[in-house]
Amino acid sequence: MSKRLLSLLLRIGLCAGLSLALAAPSSAIPAFARKYGLRCTTCHESWPVLNDFGRNFRDNGYQLRLGKDDVVTAEPAYWPVSVHITPSYEYTRVTNQQTDQGTKTLSSGGVTDAAIDLLMAGVLTKNISFLVVPTGFASDGNVHLESYWADFSRLIGNSDWFNVRVGKHEVDLPASPHRPISFAFGYLVYGYHPGPDLPSAGAAFDLGSNQLGFEISGHDQTSMTRYNVSIFSANNDSDSSTSSAHGLSSPSFYGHVEKYFRPSSGFVSQYAFGLWGAYANYPTTTYTLGCTPQYSLATCSQIVGPGSDTQIPGTGGNLQSTSRYGTEAQVWLGQLVAPLHLNFVYARGSDSKNLYLGADRAGTWQGGFLEAIWVPSVELLHWSVFGRYDFIRNRQQPLVSSPSDLGNQNQISAGVRYTIAYTNRDEVALHAEYATNTERGIGFNGSDVKTNVVFLGVDFLY
Amino acid sequence: MSTRIATVFPALVTLLIVAGTSHAQSAGDVYNGKLIYQRYCLSCHGEKGNGQGEFAEWISPKPRDYRQGTFKWRSTPSGSLPTDADLERVLINGLYGTYMPSWNALGHRQRLDVIAYIKTFSPRFAAEKPQAPIAIPPEPPYTTESVTRGAAAYKKFNCAQCHGDAAQGDGPSAHELKDDWGNPIVPYDLTQGHVKCGNGGNDIYRVFIAGLSGTPMPSFADSVSPAEAWDLVHFIQSLSPGYAKNLTGGAAPSGEGTP
Repeated sequence: MSKRLLSLLLRIGLCAGLSLALAAPSSAIPAFARKYGLRCTTCHESWPVLNDFGRNFRDNGYQLRLGKDDVVTAEPAYWPVSVHITPSYEYTRVTNQQTDQGTKTLSSGGVTDAAIDLLMAGVLTKNISFLVVPTGFASDGNVHLESYWADFSRLIGNSDWFNVRVGKHEVDLPASPHRPISFAFGYLVYGYHPGPDLPSAGAAFDLGSNQLGFEISGHDQTSMTRYNVSIFSANNDSDSSTSSAHGLSSPSFYGHVEKYFRPSSGFVSQYAFGLWGAYANYPTTTYTLGCTPQYSLATCSQIVGPGSDTQIPGTGGNLQSTSRYGTEAQVWLGQLVAPLHLNFVYARGSDSKNLYLGADRAGTWQGGFLEAIWVPSVELLHWSVFGRYDFIRNRQQPLVSSPSDLGNQNQISAGVRYTIAYTNRDEVALHAEYATNTERGIGFNGSDVKTNVVFLGVDFLY
Repeated sequence: MSTRIATVFPALVTLLIVAGTSHAQSAGDVYNGKLIYQRYCLSCHGEKGNGQGEFAEWISPKPRDYRQGTFKWRSTPSGSLPTDADLERVLINGLYGTYMPSWNALGHRQRLDVIAYIKTFSPRFAAEKPQAPIAIPPEPPYTTESVTRGAAAYKKFNCAQCHGDAAQGDGPSAHELKDDWGNPIVPYDLTQGHVKCGNGGNDIYRVFIAGLSGTPMPSFADSVSPAEAWDLVHFIQSLSPGYAKNLTGGAAPSGEGTP
């Protein structure tokens, strides 16, 4: 695959990712607001970003623990289902794209074909909660389960320090890509891989995707100290043709510890530090129906015969690793109820040489983001202003001949959000955002590619 | 730029934390309290603090109307305003079996602020001071004898009239009771193993002596002796294994007041 074609596909993927990003977030869940009579602002610092109360509620398995959690205590008509959709206008402009008319800047705009999330979550019985999120229902007719899990709280000695979640779950990242305040682009550090000029031999691990596996978590009474460990098959690779012969098809691990501090006075109302890291493995070889080792998968069907390249599930081997790890520092300035919330996350990552076809060496990188969310302290807290700067810097290219800055990225998002109404039944907000991403060297003839997005949407749930 | 951010931001955070925590502690801030109230409390207690928020219509018991300065869960004598500590205890623990959740996750500073704002709804807080908290004598050990005496006291003070012979909240008067705002109110089912204001012996004792202002539950401060009150506490605790029992007397069992 040529670099130019790859670049074009990346751009297309970026735009498609925008639509998917809008469909995928779990967002707020009005079913909880309906059940407990609490407004969305109770759990969300600026919807959909969780605040301390919301984080504690989520850590407790969506329980308030005052005798009103079990479904039998709710009105018989209560149904734990909410709907989320974001009709929006989007304009995207991408530079340095190769076409049959030469190198062009491509742009497009229009009201997008939005998908919806069905957010189903609640408590099955004391200390057993659930989440199921079918996503899709757009004009393509596709629906998939974005997330589904059962959570068992307080498994040992009625302690909050040992809870287990089973299913397709969001790993506990320093900033949730499923509850982002910025819609246009995702957080780069969760899904970045070096070597845009090389084909991948393994699946592209995205830590921001929901993962199939188990999560063990624990926290103190108010979630000021917390930990999460996830053990999963990376990118839901359990049933793919490359799944390995191990207990988990792509055995992967993620861990996160966080500690929050709350000064008793002063303009710093809260700060937090954390460490996080992921180590994922992918099989890079597999048995086939007919290819013998001397033939590559790409050619054996022509040489040996049609179908001979069919990979046999569960026979993947030669696991190769990809890792990313980092730190986080957060600070809330002003009153916690209407703060300027700064979140800085720094990451380093590494991909094994054998995760690429034709690589000379492992690919390594560093990156991070600084996100700011400001909730002005005006009546009823309708407004929020946000911005984020993401960066990626490659430290070692998998291909020795590649420019050292190939794939480096700078990304800026900024916007404003006005919540027209938030009640214990629904929420509707106007969302305006501008975002720009510049990626080094991936355009035609090694030029940079710049993508600009304007997003204007109406985000609502009920 | 990225390298600068990676080094400068942590330093900036440290500086902010050091500088930002050096101010003197002040009492609750009414303006911040109003924002906290709007974020967390409005849907039940209403914009005017009258207990008529958008969710109030659908729930029972009804949210507190703050305007009268009448509060159930106090350490102060009947008729008195509550102390700030009383109000914060409710915020920390929530009220079991109601829609009032625990606001423990908010932290002390935010709770002080919202308490300061809640007090602006009633002119009483500007004109009066809360009376001194009632004295709670040390708890005697929970024994079979004290439970038996408590059962006798339960009859003596006619508790069954409202709470029923089996203390399940189904006494002869149970369906006729109303609170000070005219809302029907159901006597508490004491066999549930949870008391709204906290499960410790002190919490239950306090109810007998302070009463529940705004409800038909009177104060028995003038008619129940401390020994009888503790016997009643033990009788109620005998109704469910859910209550922590103080078998040795003295300090309250651990876990008191936690949800």
